[in-house]
Parts: sequence; C-alpha cells; structure tokens
Amino acid sequence: MKLLQCPVNGIRPVSEFTYGGEYREMPDADTCSDKEWATYVHHRHGAPGLKKEWWYHGPSGTWFIAERNTLTDKVSRTYLYGQENKA
Amino acid sequence: MQNVVLQSSVAFAQTSLKPELGFINGMAIANRYADPDVESRHAAKLTICDVSCLSRFAIKGPAAADTLKAKGVELPASANSWSRHDETLVMRLGSSEFLLEDPIGVQQCKGLSEQLQSGDGVHVVLRNDASFILSGELLDELLAQVCAIDLSGPMLADNRLAMTSIAGVSVIVLRQEVAGQSLMRLWCDGTFGVYLWETLLDIIKELGGGPVGFNQFFNSN
Repeated sequence: MKLLQCPVNGIRPVSEFTYGGEYREMPDADTCSDKEWATYVHHRHGAPGLKKEWWYHGPSGTWFIAERNTLTDKVSRTYLYGQENKA
Repeated sequence: MQNVVLQSSVAFAQTSLKPELGFINGMAIANRYADPDVESRHAAKLTICDVSCLSRFAIKGPAAADTLKAKGVELPASANSWSRHDETLVMRLGSSEFLLEDPIGVQQCKGLSEQLQSGDGVHVVLRNDASFILSGELLDELLAQVCAIDLSGPMLADNRLAMTSIAGVSVIVLRQEVAGQSLMRLWCDGTFGVYLWETLLDIIKELGGGPVGFNQFFNSN
C-alpha cells in the first residue's frame, strides 16, 4: 500500500488522496510579457524530476503541496500552501 | 400545513429488517430490530446502530472559533480532536471548522442553529450526515476489513478524531463512551449512508453480530 503524509491528518493510504496537478508559480498577468504568459498557460515541463504538486486529502478536504520526484515517485515533504518555510 | 416527518438517510436500507420505529428530533428512527436479549448479544459481539437523528450543528470559517466561544461553547484546543461542552459533543475538524452534536434531551445545537447565521468570517454548514455507532468485542476485526489505517491503537486516543476512508467512503471517526460502553462513532455524508450501512452490516453478520436499534444506547422514551 502506498502511503502519503497529509500535513494535517498524518500518514494515510494514497487512495484517500487526489492528485491536483503540478504547482507552478504564476507570473503577474499585469506586468509579464505575452510570451511569459503564453508559456505559463500553454507549456508544461514533462521531464521527470523533483516537482511541486497539488494533492487533496478527500476525507478532510485538505489541499496541500507535495514535493515529489516523478522519476522515483518518492515524496520528500508535504506542507500546506504558504507554509513551505514552516515545514 | 402538513407535519413533516424526516427519515434517516439510511431508512431505505433498514425497511426489510422491519424495525420498531420511534421519533426523535422530528425524525423516524429504528428503535429496535429484535428482542432485547438478541440485541444485547449483538451489542456485546459486534453491532451497528443508526443514530442519524441526533441534532447537529456545523460552522466553519476564520471567525468560527470566536463565534462559538462568544456563545460560551468550550472548544477543543487542537484540530482533529473532540471534547464535551456540557453534554454536547464538540468536534474540531480543522483549525477553523467545527461540528457539534447533541445527545438526547440537550438543545445546544438547536439553539445555535437559531442564533447563528452565515456572515463575515463564518459559514453555517448544513449537515446531512448518516451517523452510526459501532461497538462490540470484534470491532477491531471489522475495522481491519474496511479501513486502511489502524484505528485500534493510539490513532484515536486522548480524544483524537480521524478523518479517513472506511469502505471507500470519507468518514469522521472517534472513540467514545456511551452508557458506560466504549464504542466507535462514525459520520459520513448522508448520501453514502445506505451503502456504508449495508457494507458494514454484511461484515457484521459474517462475524456473528447484527444491528441494534436506537434504544440500545439511548433511552428515547
């Protein structure tokens, strides 16, 4: 059984979680160039490696960030959005 | 005007068991399924009881804790834990989300429902839970079949509650003493109530237990 650490609820089977896509910094739409914005909207970086991802714990309704190596499927840490430095 | 009688969201699954019905908080509820001796044996071995009729009140939002405190409700200090305020069960489901449930004869939730409304920083949540009591000496054996985490150990000690999946359904679970008996309380979305009742009851029957009515744990008369 695969396990994932929810920052609020602790270790739970991965079946309780839903993947919410890669977390990417959004450029400021008012100041960035059209090219930067188009890259943000349309381009995805699919190469395996360490990624920040949105994950959702269904039973408690908790969205959080997981740092996961998509090559090895190893999650190095999880934390609530905005609490990266506290984790 | 018609008098509306609510039904437990699990009532559909209980009809074939032909329960003796009672009315609590305006809801028809199964008071008894069998002879009291049979129900007592089930309760000792392994049982499920539908307690969806108990009054509940839920609130969330950044100002939820302060709003409840202003009404004199004592809150659990940390998330994922529960406490009692007078006799009302107070569950803290997150830093800013609370679920309260009254035992029979207590009107705390009704009072809060009438007094509090959604507004700045608070959202009153409409709850439509199916709520069960699970108890008996084989309880851990039942949970081992339907839940991927071990709920028999310290997970639920010291008034902690867990939000997890049981038989694939998102639930809130905690351990509690009711009528001097240690048992497990479980809440899930009402729309999953029938499925969860049937799934758990199937296993309970396999293990030699059976359902009990509301009167087994509460005196509704």
